[in-house]
Amino acid sequence: MSSVIEIILNGLITGSIYALVGSGIALVYGTTRVLNFAHGELMMIAGYLVLFFAVTLELNVALASFLTLVLVGGAGALIQRATIAPLLARNDWAFQVIAATIGLSIALQSAAQLVWGEQFRTLPYFFSGVAVIGDIRMPWQRIAILVFAVLIMSLCAFVLYRTPLGRMVRATAQDAEAALAVGIPSGLVHTAVFAISAVLAGAGAILLSPLVTVNPWMGVAYLLKGFAVVILGGLGSFGGAVAAGFLLGMIESVGVAFAPTEWRDVIAFTFLIIVIWFRPNGLFAGREG
Amino acid sequence: MLEVFGRRPYLVLLGIAACLLVVPFLPLNDYILHILTIFLIFAIFASGWNLTLGMLGLKTLGHHAFFAIGAYISAIVAYYGGISPWLTIWVGALTAAIAGVIIGFPILRIRSMPHVAIVTLAFAEIVRLIFSNLKEITRGELGFWGIPTFDPIHIGDMTLRFGVGNAVGSYALAAVFFVTVHIALLALLTSRTGLTFFAIRDAEAAAESLGVHLSRWKIFAFALSAGVVGLSGAIYAHYVMILTPISVAGPEMLITLLAMIIVGGVGRFFGPVYGALLLTVASEMLREFGDFRMLLYGTGIIFFVFVAPQGLAALKLRQRRGTTSRT
Repeated sequence: MSSVIEIILNGLITGSIYALVGSGIALVYGTTRVLNFAHGELMMIAGYLVLFFAVTLELNVALASFLTLVLVGGAGALIQRATIAPLLARNDWAFQVIAATIGLSIALQSAAQLVWGEQFRTLPYFFSGVAVIGDIRMPWQRIAILVFAVLIMSLCAFVLYRTPLGRMVRATAQDAEAALAVGIPSGLVHTAVFAISAVLAGAGAILLSPLVTVNPWMGVAYLLKGFAVVILGGLGSFGGAVAAGFLLGMIESVGVAFAPTEWRDVIAFTFLIIVIWFRPNGLFAGREG
Repeated sequence: MLEVFGRRPYLVLLGIAACLLVVPFLPLNDYILHILTIFLIFAIFASGWNLTLGMLGLKTLGHHAFFAIGAYISAIVAYYGGISPWLTIWVGALTAAIAGVIIGFPILRIRSMPHVAIVTLAFAEIVRLIFSNLKEITRGELGFWGIPTFDPIHIGDMTLRFGVGNAVGSYALAAVFFVTVHIALLALLTSRTGLTFFAIRDAEAAAESLGVHLSRWKIFAFALSAGVVGLSGAIYAHYVMILTPISVAGPEMLITLLAMIIVGGVGRFFGPVYGALLLTVASEMLREFGDFRMLLYGTGIIFFVFVAPQGLAALKLRQRRGTTSRT
């Protein structure tokens, strides 16, 4: 019984990170139809930033996280302005944006490798101790991931569906030109959406950094999972991506209970392809999809 | 057609073949022949991938999986079965083509470019992990070494040997495959088949309304493209004689080949060849800088997408058009 609960709990924790990363990608895709292959590198940048603030400058964890999120949001906006916005006017932009962001992704990885070297570093746990409920033992740090991820995504959903900014985002998603005609600065909204998406990725990286190592390639694995989540959730649907993130985490968690750990990603991606085979629009094909 | 093939494509191919023929008689050291061999193998890979990426307009991102399948299957069959690589490369290519059909089917129903890109990328990741996890057969990331080379060929008194260390033979073999594959592709693409590909790329709905059976053609293109890429992988395996999953199916292979096609020109027949030559040579010249290699590929992709999205092949064409349009 306790092992079943542990599987579920682990699935939820992994899933919450996938949901954070995937919902960021979905938000950008849903609003601008752009698939950002450098999304994983935003996580990587956030990982190094939080390391710098919390370990090198020895700042308080909350302050370090806040500064990291602000800066990574800025980095997201900068990437959108510098590489993506100029391409959107072209004919074949969909593939050109994919190609340019792949190039950007590998360039950022190499740059990080040159600046920080190859040493893998980890942050100390933000929360010490282990929660004991019956015979289940779970470090508080892992539970914190779940709690904070859900809080951040709820906040994001609130902004999206209950605030003027969210209304502008949704209007731009439906028809950027019509939105522009009624006075919504669509270009700025696109940049803002990118910044929010970067903050979601950064939050994922901060929550993960005590558990995994910060290294130039840390974004790659989560980018692929994020993409899987976005497709499973129905391209561009924020809620669908969140649901699919938890589902994928759960499937991996159950899969690993029956198969060796190294097959975890094979299980996840095979599931993706099987789903696409039967439901090309994803499991939760959204209204916007 | 002009914008895909340029003027007199067969003559261009003949010129390339003539250049390739001269190379072994030049006073070049083995290292340069090795670089040229790698260029020829990657050029086959890039041209094969360009079939779906450029000719049919399906933006696939997982063709390094077919390279890995061709390489590993040919190596496994040759190593464990004791069968000559001259035969096993076709097994590798065929297996890659079958894999192409398998991944082609779910792609058929999708018209959204991001879906195609992500599903093919996920497929490549599955393939990499399978070869990595089947440690009893492939030794995983430790590397599958001891792959047999192509059996030597005896011509009169001369014996032509292959594999790393036999630079001239390996170069000649890669050159023969390069020219043969490109002649075959050129013949195919300048025929009715090519027209059908371009029709599907440029106006899918219109092509369908004219009776083009979209799914059959897409599956055919997928199988052919995967088969050619698989063949290049198999040749690569018996040349370098050692494979690791991350080196043949990892992200670096994807970036390297994508850069070659984009720099050369997506959808141009000779684009991938030019791109492969330029980037193989450039990255060798930058080898002493080590970590800068991937930075070069990454920034190269961004630069070309911004400045010359049609690649090197188009730059040349535009010049020619400018001079001939007045006559």
